Formats: sequence, structure tokens, C-alpha cells
Amino acid sequence: MTAAILDGIVLGLQFGILAVGLTLVYGLGGVLNLAYGHMAVVAALVVSLTMEAGLPAAGAVGVGLFAGGLFGLLLNSTLLRAVYRLRGEARVLLSLLLTLGVAFVVDGLLLWRYPTEALSLHIGGDAVEILGVPIRSGSLLASGIAFFAFVALFLFFRATTLGKAVRSIIQDEEGARLVGIDPNRMRTLILVLSGMLAGLVAVTRSMTSPVTVTQGISFTIFALIVTVVGGLGSVAGAFLAGILLGIVNTVSSFYIGTFLTYIILLGAAALTILLRPSGLLGVPE
Amino acid sequence: MLEVRSLSAGYQGNDVVHDVSIHVEEGEAVMIIGSNGAGKTTLFRAMCGLLRSSSGEVLFSGEDVSRMPAQKLVRRGIGFVPAERHLFPRMTVQEHLALGAYPKRPDPETRSIVFELFPRLGERRRQRAGTMSGGEQQMLAVGRALMSRPRLLVLDEPTTGLAPKLAHEAYEALGVLRRQGLTLLVAEQQVPLAMAFSDRGYVLENGVIELEGGSQELADDPRVRRAYLGVT
Repeated sequence: MTAAILDGIVLGLQFGILAVGLTLVYGLGGVLNLAYGHMAVVAALVVSLTMEAGLPAAGAVGVGLFAGGLFGLLLNSTLLRAVYRLRGEARVLLSLLLTLGVAFVVDGLLLWRYPTEALSLHIGGDAVEILGVPIRSGSLLASGIAFFAFVALFLFFRATTLGKAVRSIIQDEEGARLVGIDPNRMRTLILVLSGMLAGLVAVTRSMTSPVTVTQGISFTIFALIVTVVGGLGSVAGAFLAGILLGIVNTVSSFYIGTFLTYIILLGAAALTILLRPSGLLGVPE
Repeated sequence: MLEVRSLSAGYQGNDVVHDVSIHVEEGEAVMIIGSNGAGKTTLFRAMCGLLRSSSGEVLFSGEDVSRMPAQKLVRRGIGFVPAERHLFPRMTVQEHLALGAYPKRPDPETRSIVFELFPRLGERRRQRAGTMSGGEQQMLAVGRALMSRPRLLVLDEPTTGLAPKLAHEAYEALGVLRRQGLTLLVAEQQVPLAMAFSDRGYVLENGVIELEGGSQELADDPRVRRAYLGVT
């Protein structure tokens, strides 16, 4: 049981970071990016190809994060332009349709060009024993990176002017414009950050199990579930829900079976919507 | 300082205000009165770069700012406090004031001016805007706008939703700002308050300027007395 819970925390920290990247973009008046997981997979592919080309892992990871950010930048400056012109439900719907299209195209391209490519980063070093359970060094590093990312995100949003500007545009776009914040620049920043966070999670996931080119949609689904449970627009909520669902995930696949895990996670999301529609730490509309 | 020439603006091709010309000189307090739906908000939104005008121009300190978006106008020195306030519900008073000075660091001197004007904000630095009362939110909206050190402050119905006592207090605060040399343009439905406060005014009805003149002159006009001051 302890082992399953510790594994759950390792997984959950990464789920949490994944959810932050999705929820930030949704905060732009309801832009739902269904190609989000594909940003992660593309970043992983770029890391893998760069390493094959002979770059050391650390450098390749840098290139991969850059690629994730670039994906976000391109999405922001092409298809999402049309989305930003709409408001309310229309914005949600158009973003959903367009990014679903992007997801299909990326899926098709990846399967055609790189059907067998997968990223797995092997982290050397001995397992460390925590609470009597041996934890692999890959898990430890992945968790450390995710935790560090959370701290960095938290400080960015709370303590820097730029971070506050990003939050302001999510809370009231017109109010943000009235204090001199350019919504276009903030959107670009958010999409780039989102792509980089997706890429980061793909990298940390590959430290414990291979990330293949077909995993795009499952990354998106995990991010969606965590976002719903944690509450839209809440970094702390994503952190909490990520860890909670990570534990649910590993414990249920350990005791019940992997095949039911998705259903249990979706059940947790459905239950949250019924009991607390705004999520654990979300703010009611 | 501000000159609006033959401005027309509206939504989806239907103009709400037609051919409006107004001007505000440095150091003046000017009011725009008009009933609900007369077009005050549309006029202000077009002037302040939140809505694209269909024709006409806006000059600020001699510069044509007709096509300038709100986020740039605020750096030119126009602060706008909309009727709906548009605060950030999950941010504290302090964070609002910090963002008000964006992209610069908040100036401690301006901040102490705001806290002197609205001691309530000073007592509630860590409170989130979403949990504040209507009066406090209005103070915060004005305080946030002041942090950019505007030369012209534009307020759209600053007394919306305020109890009479609070509405009086709001105008007392605006009076203090005025004496400090700030130029003010205020749209108001509570006409007696605005008249006592301003030098000049315009009457906007159905999107057109119907009357203009000194505040006392307007207060004596039989049409204004009938329509806005409840005198028959």
C-alpha cells in the first residue's frame, strides 16, 4: 500500500503540472485545447530525435521544451486568432473543434512518420529507500522536477508583476486592459508556457516509463480530469487534485486492475462535478 | 486636454451614439448626464479605446487617439473607471494597486495618496476584491485607476449601486482629487450630486448631445429640472 501511495504521489505531481498548462489556457475566456497532450508528445519526440542526433540528454530536453513552447506559439498566432474573436460558449466550442482537428492531424503525421519512436530517459543511480519502499532514481528526479516547477509557478504568479498580469487577464480581461496590459501579449505568453509545461511533463514521464507518439490523447484526458477535480484556474487546486488522483490511479491499478483505472478516474471527476461543481479549490462562477 | 469630434459608435453596425462632440479642459470637472440607455457608457467605451468608433475622432493633448486601444491610452494618461468596475475578483487590494501601476513598479507616494483618500483600502490591503462591498469595490476601482497617475480620470456612473451616504462620500473623494489638480469627466444619473460637483456639463439623450453649459445654467434649465431633478 505504501508503495502504491508513493508511486501515486510521483505520478500525481506530474498530473498536476500537466493540468496547470491546460487550465491556464482555458482561463483565456474558455479556450479548451484538446491538442494539449499532443504538445507533450511532440516535445517528447523532439527530445528523442535530438538525442539520436547525438545531443546530450540535458541539451535535448532544452530543445524539446523549446519545441513545446513553439507549438503553443504557433497555435496562438494561427488558429486561436479566430477563437479569440468569439466570446462565451462560441469560444469554447470553436476552440474545442479546431484543436481537436489539430490533434487528429498531429496524430496522423506522427503515426505516418515516426510510428515506433518513443522517449525513455534512463536515469542512473541506485534506488533510494523512503518509508521502507525503494524508489527508483528516475521517479525521484521526475518528482523533484515537478515539485520545483510547482514552486516556480507559484512564485511567478504570486510574486512577480508579469505573473499577476497573467492572472489578471484570466480574471477580467477588460480590467486588465484598463491598467495597460496587452491581452495579445499575455495570450502568447500563456500558450508558450502551456506548451513548455506539456513538454516538461512528457520529459519527466519518460524517466519512469516510455512516452510513445500515440499517447497524446491520454495526456489530454488526464489533464482534463485533474483540472475538473482541482478547479479551473487554480494552480494550488491542480497540485492537490494531481496528487489525489495520482494516488487513486496507482492504488486502483494495483488492487483493482489497470483496465478500470480510467473509469475510476472519470468517476472521480463526475463525482466532483456533482458535489463541488467548481472543483476542490476552484472559484464558483 | 480632451476633444471628441463628431464621434459615432455602437455595436454590430448599429450606432448608439451619434455625432457627439465634447471637450474637457485641463483642471475642469465635466459631467455627462443622461438617463439609462442614453449612450453614456457607449460614448465612454469608444473614447477610452474599449470599443471601436464608427466615425469621428478623439484627441488627447493634441494627439489623435481615436484608434488607440485601452491598454495604450492608459499610458498616455487617461484613467477609466467603468460602471461595472472590472476588478479582479481573486486578487487582493494590494495586488490591484500594484497592477494599476503596470508595467512600472507601484509608486509608494501614489499609493499613500490612495490610502489617504480611501482609508478603508488601507485597512483591507489583503482582502480579495470579490469579497468586498459595492462601496469598497468602487473605491478600489478608483484607486487602481489612480495608480497609473492619470492626467484625466473618466468615471462611468461612480455611484451605481451605492447607498445615498456612500454616493456622497464618493463625490467627496472626487472633490479631493479635483482640488489636487486632476481633470475629471463623469457620467452620472444622480444628477444633483454631479451638478454640485462639476463646472460644466452635457445632457446626452438617445445618443445625441441635447444640451450643454455651465452646471448652474443646466440646473436652471426647465427641461433638466423636469427630467432629472424631479421638479415640475
